[in-house]
Amino acid sequence: MQIHPILAALRRHKAGTVLIALQIALTLAIVCNALFIIDQRLAHISEPSGVDEANLFVIKNLWGEQYSTQQAVERIEEDLNTLRQLPAVQDATPVDGYPMGTTNEDNFITMKPDQRAPTTDASFYTGDDHFLRTFGLKLIAGRDFRPDEIENKGLRDSIVPPVAIISKTMADKIYPNGDALGKTFYAMTPTPITIIGIVETLHRMDVSTWSAPYTGESMLTPVRMAMPIGIYYAVRAKPGQRDVAMGEARKALFAENRMRIIDPKDGILSFTEIRRRAFDSDRGMAILMGIICLVLLAITAAGIVGLTSFWVGQRRRQIGVRRALGATHRDILNYFMTENLLISLGGVLIGVLLTFGLNLWLVTRFTLNVLPLTYVLGGIVILLLLGQGAVLAPALRASRVPPIEATRPA
Amino acid sequence: MLKMTHLSKVYRTEVVETYALRDFNIDVKEGEFVAVTGPSGSGKTTFLTIAGLLETFTGGEYHLDGIEVSQLNDNARSKIRNEKIGFIFQAFNLIPDLNVFDNVEVPLRYRGMKAPERKERIMGALERVGLASRAKHYPAELSGGQQQRVAIARALAGSPRLLLADEPTGNLDTQMARGVMELLEEIHRDGATIVMVTHDPELAARAQRNVHIIDGQVVDLAEDPRFHTAYTAAAGQIRG
Repeated sequence: MQIHPILAALRRHKAGTVLIALQIALTLAIVCNALFIIDQRLAHISEPSGVDEANLFVIKNLWGEQYSTQQAVERIEEDLNTLRQLPAVQDATPVDGYPMGTTNEDNFITMKPDQRAPTTDASFYTGDDHFLRTFGLKLIAGRDFRPDEIENKGLRDSIVPPVAIISKTMADKIYPNGDALGKTFYAMTPTPITIIGIVETLHRMDVSTWSAPYTGESMLTPVRMAMPIGIYYAVRAKPGQRDVAMGEARKALFAENRMRIIDPKDGILSFTEIRRRAFDSDRGMAILMGIICLVLLAITAAGIVGLTSFWVGQRRRQIGVRRALGATHRDILNYFMTENLLISLGGVLIGVLLTFGLNLWLVTRFTLNVLPLTYVLGGIVILLLLGQGAVLAPALRASRVPPIEATRPA
Repeated sequence: MLKMTHLSKVYRTEVVETYALRDFNIDVKEGEFVAVTGPSGSGKTTFLTIAGLLETFTGGEYHLDGIEVSQLNDNARSKIRNEKIGFIFQAFNLIPDLNVFDNVEVPLRYRGMKAPERKERIMGALERVGLASRAKHYPAELSGGQQQRVAIARALAGSPRLLLADEPTGNLDTQMARGVMELLEEIHRDGATIVMVTHDPELAARAQRNVHIIDGQVVDLAEDPRFHTAYTAAAGQIRG
């Protein structure tokens, strides 16, 4: 290895060396943090909902006139009968919110009525005895609601549900010993709510980043909403018949009663579309970060190619002298590869400090998670390989300089 | 040591062929100090670059230290340059980014020599040329004569079988040139084989043997009627 003479030579070319090392350092810092953000966004995008996404769709149904609670209850019952009778439909249920939707109801959860600091926060679903079946939720403990437990709730009604079905994530949070079934909790309610069932997974209604610490924490109470303006119908189609069911549902509802508004464009959305829209900004952010990473890496690679090409041109005679003194093609190639490796190592050393500095700022400023070491190690490998890849072409060009170059006039 | 037989070097373009060397014959024995002279464009430098394996030749044979070199690949040629040949260039060709010690070390590193041996050889060579105290200086901090001495130390450090010098005093003033020439003579007295290309008749006269090249061929000035008059006059001047 010829590390000492390379370092000695680099000391005589400080400006170019430092600039490239700093470029590598900055690229490492940004790329590591950007890749971490991308990975977090992708993990967020692919969070399980717990529902039968392939066959589920949601109808946003607005009444053509304002109804009383009783009228709304009757109209909802009629609509549900219509929907459930469609050949392509498995089941339907009225809801005021659904996973990954645009609305969110959530309550702080406490274990005692006078507890000041909440134990956690949970999305607050309301639903009837068709909710689990319609959404395709998997009950892993306890039971579903009985029809006699369902209460209708109008706009101004106040109902404190005595029982609830909760997600396993929430059950594990409030009862870490795994014995949540039959136990109670408070959801900003004056009386306790008893856990009668636990579902494997039920995503929160929202996908916002603030609720990231409470991911997957949801509860379902036996309440059927009967709002005077309108209601969502969640409909589960028979396997593979979702699109057919979506068309049939619209026609059937209008055939039953035309006094309703279902937006022709966004009134009926498949769950696939709901998920896509919910994570649009995350996807956009991930793509943007990805593009920034690629552009930065390309600029760094171009910088290395440019500087090395310049140095090869500048040192052409020197390379000829080395060849005349016995250097082989491989010796010259190794020289430039090693030179780049040393600059890159210097760059990544500074870059590691910058990476953690930038992450610390992101953690304190934007409540981002602490960057795992694996991202930094991965980033170092990427930058070192990028450097070696970028320097290869000019280094090969240098290795082809003939020894006769030593005798050419300067 | 160095034997070229019917050697030719042709530069070809689409329209012309130019013979830089034609039917070139030379035989340098071990321990000889040979000066190669000739007018500009005669082929002196081409001879030296071929002798030093810096470029290939077109035809004929070239034996260096008993090895026929025409069939050698690039790596083998590099190895021979590194182990058997020491170069002294007119422009010194020191690497400006390296100090004197590191410059002398360059060929030894390519030989894969261990650090202690390298250091011993480098300091030995620098002491021989009187520059051991300048080991940490950079070429730009030295005079032309000192730079050429460093180049000679670099050539000597590897204990080559053959020293090839291309106008070694061409870039030096008279006093420095004299010093370098005395150093080469001293090295020769110690047993080195030296082939020196020069256009300076005074320097050539100090070599053990003169070889004159004209139009890519070795000629005997004393015998060739074309140059007899000029040779006699020049020889008279040198003696006078």
